[in-house]
Amino acid sequence: MMSWIKGARLYFHMVSASIRAQMQYRYAFVMNILGWAMSYAGTAVTMWTVLYQFKTLDGWTFWELLFLFALSVLSWGVCVLFFFHFRSLDQYIWNGTFDRFLVRPIHPFFHFIALKFDVGAFGQLFFSILAVWLSYIKLGLHWQVGRWLVFFGTVFGGTLIQGGLLVLISALAFWTTRSERLYWVVMFPAKSMVSYPLSIYPRLLQWFFILVVPFAFVNYFPAMFLLNKVHTKISLYLGILSPFVGIVFFWLCYRVWMTGLNRYKSAGS
Amino acid sequence: MRKFRMYLEFTRKSFQRSAVYRFDAWTRLLSNLMFLFMWGFIWYGLYGGEETAGGKSFDTMLSYVLISQMLQGLHAAGTSLWEIQERVRNGDIAMELMRPFDYPLRVLFSDLGSVAFHFITAIAPLYIVLFLCFHPVLPSSLSTWIIFILSAILGYLIRYSIELTFGLFTFWLVETGGVEDIFYFSVSLFSGAVVPLWFFPPVFEHIARYLPVQWIFVRAKRDFCWATARGGDLSRDHAPGVLVGC
Repeated sequence: MMSWIKGARLYFHMVSASIRAQMQYRYAFVMNILGWAMSYAGTAVTMWTVLYQFKTLDGWTFWELLFLFALSVLSWGVCVLFFFHFRSLDQYIWNGTFDRFLVRPIHPFFHFIALKFDVGAFGQLFFSILAVWLSYIKLGLHWQVGRWLVFFGTVFGGTLIQGGLLVLISALAFWTTRSERLYWVVMFPAKSMVSYPLSIYPRLLQWFFILVVPFAFVNYFPAMFLLNKVHTKISLYLGILSPFVGIVFFWLCYRVWMTGLNRYKSAGS
Repeated sequence: MRKFRMYLEFTRKSFQRSAVYRFDAWTRLLSNLMFLFMWGFIWYGLYGGEETAGGKSFDTMLSYVLISQMLQGLHAAGTSLWEIQERVRNGDIAMELMRPFDYPLRVLFSDLGSVAFHFITAIAPLYIVLFLCFHPVLPSSLSTWIIFILSAILGYLIRYSIELTFGLFTFWLVETGGVEDIFYFSVSLFSGAVVPLWFFPPVFEHIARYLPVQWIFVRAKRDFCWATARGGDLSRDHAPGVLVGC
């Protein structure tokens, strides 16, 4: 118990240092947040353009689609706060700066998480909260306590699923000394794919996003549940499983990371 | 002449460099393929089993997506905006400016090398297979092919000029997060890279008409499709017809 309190204090200490470092350049700080918000707003505008003529995509209207998208951006925003710097683990290995994580009396995984708290994520959070709120009104939703619990459970689960995948990709750097590039070419397109309803993709890909990389639990299943969308093949109650899937997936990724760490030999520089 | 040979040397070097970093080429191809699939299925879902929508057949749409992703795959092999900005930000660009060559030309010629490598080893084989599988509408006459290739090259030059200009804005802005994202957003939307201009809401279509970015892809894709699609598809009424060599 004591060690947890100590850990939490240490975390806040390191994170506040990281925030102060990022706030040093006020202009860059604002631009960064603005940039993230812009690029997501851009995707939303593209969705609107796509649906302008067609009205629906596989039964999803624009506002439903925006909700689906915003739900994944919301948990991604939280994930960016804590885990986004995992993608560039390879740079720490190349520069040899990773070695300092091993010589200090702090758990290396914990130490690496606490290294940065990416305030740029306020861009994502700003966009996604606005988009969820807008679509909540436009769709005329009235959630009871239960639905709100599912909603926040989804944000929690989504954070762990996406964070888990970032951890997994970074872990590959222990074997291949590459991770940043893999993030941009594998995770980024995969994340873009699930911004649209999973039902438009072939069966094989759907199973991939359910069983292998459980992105279906980040937004598709929960959105089906929260928006009461009827589906003949799947149970709507899959939507409430996100937090559990998130915990299991994150734990697995963490195990891979630790395995990689034990195997890691310094780059020698 | 000697100058030209010097620039060609940059092309040769970057071709060789691409050959060394083959992992990069493969991963880039993988991501291109993923986006191709994504847009293919989005359009398939939008058409929802209908043959035509808004006067455009699904076959036309499929060829549009294929060509668009192929061109985007090629563009991705060039120097990105992000790289130019990074150079300005960390001061590496000072070294480039001191040397006896024109920096923009140097970048362009290096790009030629990596784009050529990427085209030969990755894009061409992949898209030949895809074209054989999906039977999109292909231009039948030689002249259309020549015009298509010419437009594609001009489109590449336009993209390069805009990207370089935005990259050099970094001299004033230093941190460019917001500008960069506005740039990428407007290029991907208003160039018709993902949504063709004929499906645009009127407001956006008007904006797109006045932006040079649409010529990056639209012109090339129109040349590719319109000869075979009997003028009905990809008609000329989407073109202002006053800009850039048409």
